[in-house]
Amino acid sequence: MGIWDLEPVPSMQIIPQDTTATSPYDTVWTQVPEQQPEGLERVMLAEDKLFVVLAVVLIIWFGLLFFLYRTDRRLDRLERSLERGISQDPDESVVG
Amino acid sequence: MNAPSTRKPAIDLRRYRFVRAAVGVWMTGVIGFAFLRDIPSLEILEHTARNLYFHVPMWFTMMAAVIVAAYHSARYLATDDPVRDVRAEQAARVGFVFGLLGILTGIVWARFTWYVGQGIWWNFDPRQTMVAVFLLIYGAYFTLRSSIDEPTRRARVAAVYNLFAAATMPFLTYVVPRQMPSLHPGAEGSPAFSETDLAPVMRPIFYAAIIGFIVLFWVIYTQRVRTALLEEELEENPL
Repeated sequence: MGIWDLEPVPSMQIIPQDTTATSPYDTVWTQVPEQQPEGLERVMLAEDKLFVVLAVVLIIWFGLLFFLYRTDRRLDRLERSLERGISQDPDESVVG
Repeated sequence: MNAPSTRKPAIDLRRYRFVRAAVGVWMTGVIGFAFLRDIPSLEILEHTARNLYFHVPMWFTMMAAVIVAAYHSARYLATDDPVRDVRAEQAARVGFVFGLLGILTGIVWARFTWYVGQGIWWNFDPRQTMVAVFLLIYGAYFTLRSSIDEPTRRARVAAVYNLFAAATMPFLTYVVPRQMPSLHPGAEGSPAFSETDLAPVMRPIFYAAIIGFIVLFWVIYTQRVRTALLEEELEENPL
């Protein structure tokens, strides 16, 4: 059975699975949690773990945003040295 | 060093602006489809299968960046053109950031998908460990750069080191991790392009995301090259 033969996620029904057949992305490493998830996990596991995807997207977004600010700081320095009419001290050129 | 004032413009600004606009539209579509299209439901994975569109392209992008950086380092050694050195450094920097984002997104994905109830943030999964090693090797490139003051010498030493660092990438990201049992797919072949591992409905979005992130890399990288070239110009020709 191909994995795309299964129902799409929004139906939220429990799909009987033959765990001895192909195990995509691994059941070997996984232990089923015994107790109810708490704290951070309760948030992340809600909505069929959709918030995990949100967290991943936000990490990328903030990472790129942070990088954008770093580039901006370099532009600020350039503008300042243009205003002062002198070149910047190479020793001060910050890495990154 | 060559006089930068006689240099012809290193960047085609019209192309840059067009690509920048295009990638904005493209990635908006990718993110929309990534969340809105129905995907097959698998136990454990559930909606986190959608991370395929975000976590995996980070690595494709990092690899593309490393190849771009290595290409410019090789060209620097062949031509001694300082612009090549600037390009190599900036491609490496942006690639490094994509690598870090790949690691961080992988940590969060694994923690709340496979390690639920166990509280494991880092499990020394072979691929995870090997890319961390690669990022350390690659990070040394920047340390090396900042430790040499003389520009020509810095450019040459850094270019040679960069070629060595880039040469470790295929082994640390492809060869070694696929020899060991891992949370990651890939021991059986090439998961990104195989017929069975990836549902057809996810395929176009996945490939579109890879293309989109690589083009996004190119835009950020070009932006930083422009900045770095300006800095150099100001350094050499003070007003």
